[in-house]
Amino acid sequence: MFALEFPPINEILRWSDLFPSFNKIAIITVAAALIGSLIFLLAGNADGSKAPKGVRNFAEAIVEFIEGQIIMPTMGRDGLGWTPFLLSIFSFIYLCNVPGIIPVLQMPATARMAIPLFLSLLVWVVFIGVGFKHQGLGYLKNSLFPPGVPGPLYILVTPIEFISTFLVRPFSLTVRLFANMLAGHILLVTFALLTKELVQGGNIALVPVGILPFFMLVFLTAFEVLVAFLQAYIFTILAAVYIGGAAHPEH
Amino acid sequence: MLTAVVTYGSNGPEVLLSASEGEEGHSSEYTYADCSIIPEGKEPSEKIESLEECDPGPSPIMPEAKELYWGASSFVLFALLMRFFLYPRLRRSMDARYDSIRGAHAEADQARSEAQAEVAAYEAALAEVKAEAAARIEEARATLEQERSTQLAEANARISSARDAAAAEAAAAHEAIRGDIGSAAASVASRTVELAIGRAPDAAAVSSAVEGSMTSGATR
Amino acid sequence: MEAFTILAQEADKAAAAASSAGFAYGLAAIGPGIGIGYLVGKSVEAMARQPEAAGMVRTTMFLGIAFTEALALIGFVVFILIGL
Repeated sequence: MFALEFPPINEILRWSDLFPSFNKIAIITVAAALIGSLIFLLAGNADGSKAPKGVRNFAEAIVEFIEGQIIMPTMGRDGLGWTPFLLSIFSFIYLCNVPGIIPVLQMPATARMAIPLFLSLLVWVVFIGVGFKHQGLGYLKNSLFPPGVPGPLYILVTPIEFISTFLVRPFSLTVRLFANMLAGHILLVTFALLTKELVQGGNIALVPVGILPFFMLVFLTAFEVLVAFLQAYIFTILAAVYIGGAAHPEH
Repeated sequence: MLTAVVTYGSNGPEVLLSASEGEEGHSSEYTYADCSIIPEGKEPSEKIESLEECDPGPSPIMPEAKELYWGASSFVLFALLMRFFLYPRLRRSMDARYDSIRGAHAEADQARSEAQAEVAAYEAALAEVKAEAAARIEEARATLEQERSTQLAEANARISSARDAAAAEAAAAHEAIRGDIGSAAASVASRTVELAIGRAPDAAAVSSAVEGSMTSGATR
Repeated sequence: MEAFTILAQEADKAAAAASSAGFAYGLAAIGPGIGIGYLVGKSVEAMARQPEAAGMVRTTMFLGIAFTEALALIGFVVFILIGL
């Protein structure tokens, strides 16, 4: 068989420190925050009274995407106050995902557990806080004892609701983002390694075959562009659904 | 590593066991420098058998404190900046533009309705002018008609009076000729009667007889 | 010549864990695969029937995909946990 040696998983995920406690992931996160701020700063500086163009057009398109595609279908008009929060979540996740396909960086910062975990815990705290703020202690009653269930069934329903609302939500938010980006990263590494082994493996007959995993690599890179956007979108829309659900109990 | 090759042939499965040790030679190309994290107390140039010998580190599921710290702090700063500075600024100018667009729309609507009112006024004036022109034309036509009819009537009267005069003249001439013929016929008849009976007839009877025969001749 | 070979690697505990992790992920991918296929198919049907509701259907479809996909991703995390 091929002399394909897949490196241990940590070899493609962990990065040594450039400065003490400052590695590639930290670079990507700091750069994501800086680039996001820069885009919106430049957009805010541009003349807003004319038809928007360039970076301003881009920023306004993102804002309108968040408002039109994420907030309006899930929270309605009342949720428009959440735009800056969801906008920063969306931009930050997207800018952390995209380095997975940028040459030289080649590492999505969200493929490490830290950022998805932090963001979903933040969303968890926020939606529970919103629930208590809007409904008081009735939030616990509404979410643990949903109305319209016959009495004895609460023995079954309440634990399920508790687990699904307060435990599974942050867990699935974290795992969804983390595992999608990690899987994409591993796929890219696999096909890159396969291409390298076939082309540089020393067997001249296998060199033309190396074009196949290379095409796959190109295709997967294009696919990762989509995944980077889609995961940021899904994380944001789920955050909006959770916050909206906590603000307005379903009757 | 122990490898078992199981072959299903025509005479049942055959198992072929083979052991292989990592001595193919390609693994010695790694050094500790190829590891992402160089283990404590190792030289980067030191050769290793495979990447398995690098610092395996914690499970990839576990969040690393330094990444958590950097990621969280940069996100929190970004979110705060977005909430209190970047987004409100963008939103303000977006709202201002939308308002101005809405204002411009309203203005355009107003201008349009004004223009429509102007057009309506113009059309009303036009209609008025047209009606006036039509009335004047009508009036002129009526005047013309009247004049024509009076002139026609005058001409007709002139023609008829001329025709009457001519007819009267003709009748007079006719009468005169008739009188002449009557008197001639009467003198011829009285001469004829005088020759026949030898005495002059009563002139009045002759002329009434001539008159009667002429009238009956004329009517016959 | 109907012989075919199965290469079974039976070595130490790590290899056994790796193969069981592979099985675990494979099993975990079946349900979500069927589920996502069904979900997207139905959504396309709904969008074709009512193109004016396409935006709402698409949003709901992505939400459904996110929930369904979570199962496969948990399988993937288990794969990482026990296999690597």
